[in-house]
Amino acid sequence: MAVLKLKSGSTRCRHWLRHLGAGLLGLALAGLVSPAVRAETALSAEYQLKAVFLFNFAQFVEWPAQAFPDPKAPLVIGVLGKDPFGPYLDDLVSGEKIGDRALVIRRYSRPEDLAGCHILFISRSEARNLETIVARLKEQSVLTVSDADTFTRQGGMVRFVMENGKIRLRINVDAAKSGHLSISSKVLRPDTLATPGKD
Amino acid sequence: MNAPRSHGRWKGGVGFLAGLAGPFFAIVLSAQTVAPLPPPTTLKKMSLDELMDLQVTSVSKRPEKLSETASAIQLITDEDIRRAGATSLPEALRLASNLEVAQVDSRQWAITARGFNNVFADKMLVLVDGRSVYTPLYAGVYWDVQQTMLADVDRIEVISGPGATQWGANAVNGVINVTTKSAKDTQGGLIIAGAGSELKESGEARYGGKLGSNLYYRVYAAYSDRGDSVRPNGRSSGDQWRSGQAGFRLDYDAGAANGLTLQGDGYTGTMNQFGPGNIKTNGSNLLGRWTHQVEDNSDLKLQAYYDRTHRSIPGSFTQDLTTFDLDFQHRRPLGPANDLVWGLGYRFVQDDVINTPANAFLPASIGRASYSAFFQDEIALSKDRLHLTLGSKVEHNDYTGYEFEPSVRLAWHPDQKQTFWGAISRAIRTPSRIDRDLYSPAVPPYRVTGGGHVVSEKLFAYEAGYRVQLDPQLSLSVATFLNNYDDLRSLTPLNPPQAFPVENSSGLRGRSSGAELTAEWQVTGKWRLHAGWTELRVRSEPQSGTVDRPTRDSIARDPNHQVFLRSLLNISASWECDVTMRGIGPIPMSAVPSYTEADLRLGWHPRPAWEFSLLGQNLLHDQHPEFNSPGTRRELQRALYGKASWRF
Repeated sequence: MAVLKLKSGSTRCRHWLRHLGAGLLGLALAGLVSPAVRAETALSAEYQLKAVFLFNFAQFVEWPAQAFPDPKAPLVIGVLGKDPFGPYLDDLVSGEKIGDRALVIRRYSRPEDLAGCHILFISRSEARNLETIVARLKEQSVLTVSDADTFTRQGGMVRFVMENGKIRLRINVDAAKSGHLSISSKVLRPDTLATPGKD
Repeated sequence: MNAPRSHGRWKGGVGFLAGLAGPFFAIVLSAQTVAPLPPPTTLKKMSLDELMDLQVTSVSKRPEKLSETASAIQLITDEDIRRAGATSLPEALRLASNLEVAQVDSRQWAITARGFNNVFADKMLVLVDGRSVYTPLYAGVYWDVQQTMLADVDRIEVISGPGATQWGANAVNGVINVTTKSAKDTQGGLIIAGAGSELKESGEARYGGKLGSNLYYRVYAAYSDRGDSVRPNGRSSGDQWRSGQAGFRLDYDAGAANGLTLQGDGYTGTMNQFGPGNIKTNGSNLLGRWTHQVEDNSDLKLQAYYDRTHRSIPGSFTQDLTTFDLDFQHRRPLGPANDLVWGLGYRFVQDDVINTPANAFLPASIGRASYSAFFQDEIALSKDRLHLTLGSKVEHNDYTGYEFEPSVRLAWHPDQKQTFWGAISRAIRTPSRIDRDLYSPAVPPYRVTGGGHVVSEKLFAYEAGYRVQLDPQLSLSVATFLNNYDDLRSLTPLNPPQAFPVENSSGLRGRSSGAELTAEWQVTGKWRLHAGWTELRVRSEPQSGTVDRPTRDSIARDPNHQVFLRSLLNISASWECDVTMRGIGPIPMSAVPSYTEADLRLGWHPRPAWEFSLLGQNLLHDQHPEFNSPGTRRELQRALYGKASWRF
């Protein structure tokens, strides 16, 4: 009298579970055979990802024609100050093209040398000179990027923010406009907009 | 008499156990270092959303990615809530396809995972910022007083399946975990105002600022006035209601090493009802939490909260419930392969009821203490590839003494894109006052007698699932389960064959099985699709020696099928168009027909600080029912709502 009237369901489930168990076992064994391939990299995941974001910006931002000497001139990604990326950034863009333009990485130590740069990552080492650097680039078509806390408030265009271990963007749309840059809606969205209180 | 039952259950589990044990013995331990990012070629192909979802540094809690957990978990993000235009927490929960969400009338909702849904779905634990909102009087959640400001919600984790090892009693069929944003992430002002046909008017205001170099605050207030539901004949059921809530949150954030949070809310509400007078609610809570990172992979959490709720239902009862809860958790590695979490908990609940002649909770006032301890060890059998999680909670309550809630979980990642997982767990629902103390009428002779012998409901659950990222734009997941329940609550006639009087007892057993499928597809940079399909079968029947009549047919009120489809489209940088459709199967037990409904939202951002949106809910029918038998049924009407929000 205590027998469940769920017989057919339970039998089906039992078969199903057996198959699943066998499947799991088989897959576990298959997993043993394939070797674990892991690339060891010295660069932290944080800066690997930030490098990828810089590469993405090259695709999703439009520069005015006068920002380039000619239609086939390369697009220059610059790093100002102490370089956190190392060769990872160079490897990342090597061989990549945006339309007819190749991508070139340049390192700068002084803000005076920035002519011809299109995307500029400003390293933390320059945190004290942010205002000077931003003022120097004012109304020039250079997409300025940094992870400095007050960057968008000081007139910078894109700030990397760390939230719960993930990288988020804050974009100062007015600064980008004054540089005559147009940022694709894939990047410029409600959640990436810098707003007062969320900058 | 137990033998045949246990036999069936164990046979069901043997194949599964074998499947789980196989890899356990077969695997060779291999030492691996940090989990690296995908190679640059893969990273370059990923969408912005995927890049922003990559974990690059560990957070103080377990730095586990959602796609790697060995349980059926769905995440509702702040963006999901905004894009759905949800105007209440239950509406936001419709976004999780592993939940059954049925609106019962203008203010009551039946919400559960994996069956046995009811207005008081008693097998579902709901936490808001670590504070339980499961009421131990009725064993369920009063959704009409859960009015967390949705714009400040960071995420909602919806776990279907038992979570008792970590969360304790009542996390039987699932856990809903609502987490609000840190005050650090809600700086500045936000004003939202809206008006519509069902949500007549609503206003929300929040302001966040800085009190010191690492001390952030926010304060908020919200008000809403909601319209009525209708009877099947289209006439008003007179259940319109108003409510207001205000609160604050303070976060001291000195890097990862130390975090302090103090938060509190207060609310009040008036709900019209047919009959003697309006339902009145009010309540307040205060919660403090300290987190401390001992080392990179070791942390402590100490949390205490106080929660008071008041509800008076004229003609039924008045309740004052006060809860004090203390929770401690410590995570630390044990050697290179073990990650141990253990914790202690204490809760005291004082429940004071003013009874009416119609029914009575006896004794009217009662204080109950419970305490618990748990441990959970995640063993990396093969780093980044095979993880075994073992653990149990032990808790003591005044009704049934000691209870054990063990679980075993296994997650296997053959590569970074796939996860196979399986779990076996036991969970319990401890008796609540409605099981033990409810008498009707208030004086003898009783028609319904409190169940002095009601014991905990027990669940033994088998789960298995698979998740895969097919390409950067498309991910799929499937979770399946088989649940065996014992000692489900029943009503036993005391003088059979007479239907009354009846006594609350634990005379039913049940079995449920099902599958939950989800798919997410980023079709283009501007267009995202979500799909969900949930199949469920639930049965219950009397245990041996039990004569059970009334509850036998009414205990499971669940649709067998649910299908969800959601489209999020950015028409341009400033326009959004979002469509949500749901198809819900019939609930034969209460003669609820199947239905398909659609919501549509149009959002416009003329400037970054401004958002205007127009929302149409339940657009396909003038009115439709989602729950309850025709006699007591209330139906929901098509609703339109317009909203403006301004950040400053």
